[in-house]
Amino acid sequence: MSAPLSEIREIWVYLSGSPLFALTLTLAAWQLGTVACDRSGRHPLVNPVAIAVAGVAATIVAIDMPYATYFEGAQFVHFLLGTATVALAVPIHRGLDALRGRLLPLLAALLGGGAVSIAVAVGGARLLGLDPALADGLWAKSVTAPIAMGVAERMGASPTLTAVYAVVTGVLGAALGRFVLDAVGCRAWWQRGAAIGIAAHGIGTSRAFDVHPAAGAWASLAMGLHGVLGAVAIPWAFALAR
Amino acid sequence: MIPGLLQLLAFQGVGELLARFVVPIVPGPVLGLVALLAWLRLRGRVGVGLDAVAGAFSRHLGLLFVPAAVGVVTFLPLLRGHLAALLLALLASVLATIATSAWLLQTLSRDPADDPADDPADDPDRPPAGRDPGSPPTGPRA
Repeated sequence: MSAPLSEIREIWVYLSGSPLFALTLTLAAWQLGTVACDRSGRHPLVNPVAIAVAGVAATIVAIDMPYATYFEGAQFVHFLLGTATVALAVPIHRGLDALRGRLLPLLAALLGGGAVSIAVAVGGARLLGLDPALADGLWAKSVTAPIAMGVAERMGASPTLTAVYAVVTGVLGAALGRFVLDAVGCRAWWQRGAAIGIAAHGIGTSRAFDVHPAAGAWASLAMGLHGVLGAVAIPWAFALAR
Repeated sequence: MIPGLLQLLAFQGVGELLARFVVPIVPGPVLGLVALLAWLRLRGRVGVGLDAVAGAFSRHLGLLFVPAAVGVVTFLPLLRGHLAALLLALLASVLATIATSAWLLQTLSRDPADDPADDPADDPDRPPAGRDPGSPPTGPRA
């Protein structure tokens, strides 16, 4: 009995040291998340990113694998974040074609919404006595996660916490956005989409696409522009606030 | 697909160079995005390969930040005891952001096409008639 066990252990030591394990785990968790999301009728609270992160985190804690070991394998997925950020130019390009006379309201909403997002999150955190190590990640959290993480890195905040805050923000915004939009009497699809794209980036945009194609396209444009604007303005505002 | 990926990598490279030598405060991929956007505006159309790769990235954007977000395990001791405060700050922030953005969009646009009569949004969670309810979702997932 002991011979096969030690053999299994050897195979495990070999596999867990190669990128194969981390990559398989990451993709499997993502697949599980997307299937669960589709099975739920794409309910906004059944979010594939949240499920995948929770699944991978629970697994590596359960098998006692250090995060650094996991990341060494999963960094191939992580690298593509930068490439995916560049690819956001395509939906922005398409959205700009449909912009017509709506540039001014959109820019105002981006600046106003972005400023309120930071003021309420960072102000609220200060009021509630949050540790600055945790609070600095709040600055970029309304920006799409691939850009938010790059911005956080340059500000000296934690990219990981920023990504987690961004996911939570996206899920909350996607689930609750319609109630806020109804409450303020916002009815036009393009406005509903743009407001969700500004506040709840990719997860909100995905939700907007599920509801109405025009809302999705505008959410996509708003998310992309918020990303570009945020990358320039957030580090600058952060330095001013210090 | 490969020409599109090559194009993205080339612009990512341009962005990294710009970030290194010209505007160090902005992350390289964002500068790559701006450079690609300028190129697309000049050219006026998106190539088939680029369109395919950009669509794939958009659909699976969420997958790409899983490895970094899993790093939350290293913050668990610090997060414990602050969870309620964090959630409250995030919730208040996202609701206020949606309300502010929607209000600004409404107040500043005087587009007749935005008349609710032309653009019924009575039940925002029900897909409008005319769209095949069985059609696969095309939006990004993250």
